[in-house]
Amino acid sequence: MAGLVPPGTTTIPADASKTAHTKHEEKTDYMNLPCPIPYEEIHREALMSLKPETFEGLRFDFTKGLNQKFSLSHSVFMGPTEIPSQSAETIKIPTAHYEFGANFIDPSLMLIGRVLTDGRLNARVKWDLTDNLTVKANAQLTNEPHMSHGMVNFDYKGKDYRSQLQMGNGALFGASYIQSVTQHLSLGGEVFWAGQHRKSGIGYAARYDTDKMVATGQVASTGMVALSYVQKVSEKVSLASDLMYNYMSRDVTASVGYDYILRQCRLRGKIDSNGCTAAYLEERLNMGLNFVLSAEIDHRKKDYKFGFGLTVG
Amino acid sequence: MASRVSLKSKGKAGKGSKGSEEKSIAQCLKEWSTWTMKKAKVVTHYGFIPLVIIIGMNSEPKPQIYQLLSPV
Repeated sequence: MAGLVPPGTTTIPADASKTAHTKHEEKTDYMNLPCPIPYEEIHREALMSLKPETFEGLRFDFTKGLNQKFSLSHSVFMGPTEIPSQSAETIKIPTAHYEFGANFIDPSLMLIGRVLTDGRLNARVKWDLTDNLTVKANAQLTNEPHMSHGMVNFDYKGKDYRSQLQMGNGALFGASYIQSVTQHLSLGGEVFWAGQHRKSGIGYAARYDTDKMVATGQVASTGMVALSYVQKVSEKVSLASDLMYNYMSRDVTASVGYDYILRQCRLRGKIDSNGCTAAYLEERLNMGLNFVLSAEIDHRKKDYKFGFGLTVG
Repeated sequence: MASRVSLKSKGKAGKGSKGSEEKSIAQCLKEWSTWTMKKAKVVTHYGFIPLVIIIGMNSEPKPQIYQLLSPV
């Protein structure tokens, strides 16, 4: 990799270290490397800039805190929802739903539940059994038979590595491991086996991060190659770019985006090679009151999605 | 294992009307685990949100019941 800087090789004399040096090269202590980012969050910075949660229609979220740890949320959504169709045209049907949620957030236990008017439940649990072992569970339950999904993860965090074991319904098993190799570089791999579809796969990922930039690469045997690069231009601005290539289906997508984090608002936008541009604005009108605007324009499929909303609390 | 096999064949010969209904340990386990999963799914579906609310209402400082429903 062109941007790879060899770990610092100069040692600091004792008196110079006491002077006000904000950044200095230290001899890399290979026994004390930092703990790496969890494997599934390896593209985290790029996803935050390039994949904002755009929506279409009206969204209103109200979160009411009853005490420090416990809160209830009420959410109303009205707008067209896309349903998957075989033809190239997008089919949208107008839907409206109300979602009630209860959250309990404690340093060691987190429970989040959301239930919609049509009976669908979305539940997430995260429980820190010990300092290093965490159990996470995720479930989407519906009233229709055979449409519910559930997944349990066991995460073990070591000194400079993380490992995870995943089990899901439909005989889905996965395991991943990521290790810090130097101060800035971490490498990891994963395997998964899906019993229902009789598929298995293996993947590798690498992440190089410094204070100013993050570069990640991921390859999987399902044919996916994903590379991303995020540069933090200043405290308020970051730019991101991403390339996704599927060598089985010969499908390439490249996208470039920006993320402005300003005092009163956060603006994210992206443009990609499929002719799709998106933007997402969150403006803080007042303490606890946020106004959200979302736009996604797909010129190739002629699909225009605009949404607005208000988040309280 | 040998004695179990011979018992099964004896049983089969005795109850010919049952047909070829053979319950091995693996099948029993599979049926029980499917039954448990189904019951667990129903329990989670109806009970998860009430569970979160009960745990939340019992955490410190204890909120009042009316706070659950009022919009303030």
